[in-house]
Amino acid sequence: MLKFNKIYKEYDTPILGPLSLNIKKNSFVSILGSSGAGKSTLLRLASNIIKPTSGSVEYLNNEKPNIGFVFQDPTLLPWRSVIDNVLLPAELTSENKKLSKQKAYFWLSKVGLEGKENSLPNQLSGGQKMRVSIARAMVQDCSLLLMDEPFAALDEVTRNKLEDDLLDIWEKNKLTVLFVTHSVTEAVYLAERVLVMSSSPGKILDDVVITEKRSRDDSQQSSEFFSTINYLTDILKKENNE
Amino acid sequence: MIKPYLSFFAPIITFLLLICAWELTVSFQNIPKYILPAPTDILDSLLINYSDLLRSTFITFRITLFAFIIASLLAIFIAILFSQSKIIELSLYPIAVIFQVTPVVAIAPLILIWVGLDNAEFAILILAVIVAFFPVLANTNLGIRSVEKNLSELFSLYEANRLQRLFKLQLPYALPFILTGMKTSIGLALIGSVVAEFVAGSGTSTGLAWRIIEAGNRLDVPKLFAALILLVVLGVFLFLIMSLLEKILLKRWDLDKS
Repeated sequence: MLKFNKIYKEYDTPILGPLSLNIKKNSFVSILGSSGAGKSTLLRLASNIIKPTSGSVEYLNNEKPNIGFVFQDPTLLPWRSVIDNVLLPAELTSENKKLSKQKAYFWLSKVGLEGKENSLPNQLSGGQKMRVSIARAMVQDCSLLLMDEPFAALDEVTRNKLEDDLLDIWEKNKLTVLFVTHSVTEAVYLAERVLVMSSSPGKILDDVVITEKRSRDDSQQSSEFFSTINYLTDILKKENNE
Repeated sequence: MIKPYLSFFAPIITFLLLICAWELTVSFQNIPKYILPAPTDILDSLLINYSDLLRSTFITFRITLFAFIIASLLAIFIAILFSQSKIIELSLYPIAVIFQVTPVVAIAPLILIWVGLDNAEFAILILAVIVAFFPVLANTNLGIRSVEKNLSELFSLYEANRLQRLFKLQLPYALPFILTGMKTSIGLALIGSVVAEFVAGSGTSTGLAWRIIEAGNRLDVPKLFAALILLVVLGVFLFLIMSLLEKILLKRWDLDKS
């Protein structure tokens, strides 16, 4: 789906790489790492918002897929209603209006915001705003979903609910998801593969495949689930101490 | 916590008490009208001269409003140019600053010579525009530059063109900034038109500034105060209109940038 070829990014100082990475189609990949590890930069490179200093980003069949991006903040336009916010990508890419509207309503109901279409962002809770942001990312039938710590500012209950909704969307829509997070538990719970990044400049420190079955119930979690969490936590601790 | 009715009535009561104190001081101290007229004398003068004074108020209002509209449109247009090209900004911004820091009194004679003594009203308009222009320019420029990085990246992700970026993101985002600039600007447009009329004269039309000069020269201090009061009322009225406009336009914003 996505391939990073010896990618390197610097501004005044080196930020990321050189780094090579392959992301399989329909996979869910979490990226862990301390602040300044270049996780967000990696997502921006994947979306083509920024260009690498050297190296390249390749997409499957050399064709840029429809990309959805969910930022840490909901990043909604406060003067636009919920439906108009979701329709923004379609407006910018001049997509068919009627069809886009149908899709926008579909995605808003999918993320549980039926009846909130004409509300303004300031009338919504933090979790609802994030749902609008997810609906906006999905409205153009995206096949690559990039998420930059999207649930970091939410309370635990809302966060758990949104994580499960995200998994549901991922499974039903055959998406490829790149999910940046600071939470080891969240990374292991959501992903099939967890990348751990080192900082200054960001490189891949470890690449862990998750095979355990997910469950919200601790008693039903396998011991492998907790040992993976402990293993990843140890790597991050070690990295932070260095 | 101050109760709402108290915060409404406290300034009104204070104002009325001051007026009473003024009236009593003038009558008990026998202060001559040409030094300090009593509020009742000012009210008398206002009623006697209301026709002249109202006409002058309308003239000042008209010049102020035109100056404000022209200054706002020009400033927003130039700020948009700035946002499209760094070179244009670097080239024009110093000129805008020069106009801002040069006292209007100092350039009034020059403007008057250029437009002709017969066109004093046009000279006043130009001078008021110069005074009112900068706050809108500075605030619009700041607003456009303040667009959140993530929002800007979102537009990059969908490959928005310059016009889409300008009309769907930058200008709406800058709206609270623009309106703040316009609120300052409308007061300055009034100050500019009054100061310009003091310096440039009024030509065939006579605004409130001219009435003040005229009353001052004749030692008709009650009329001078009456004109001054109308000027204050006009200033407050314009400010309230702008505040109302701001409230209506920013209703959807609620200043919560999500």
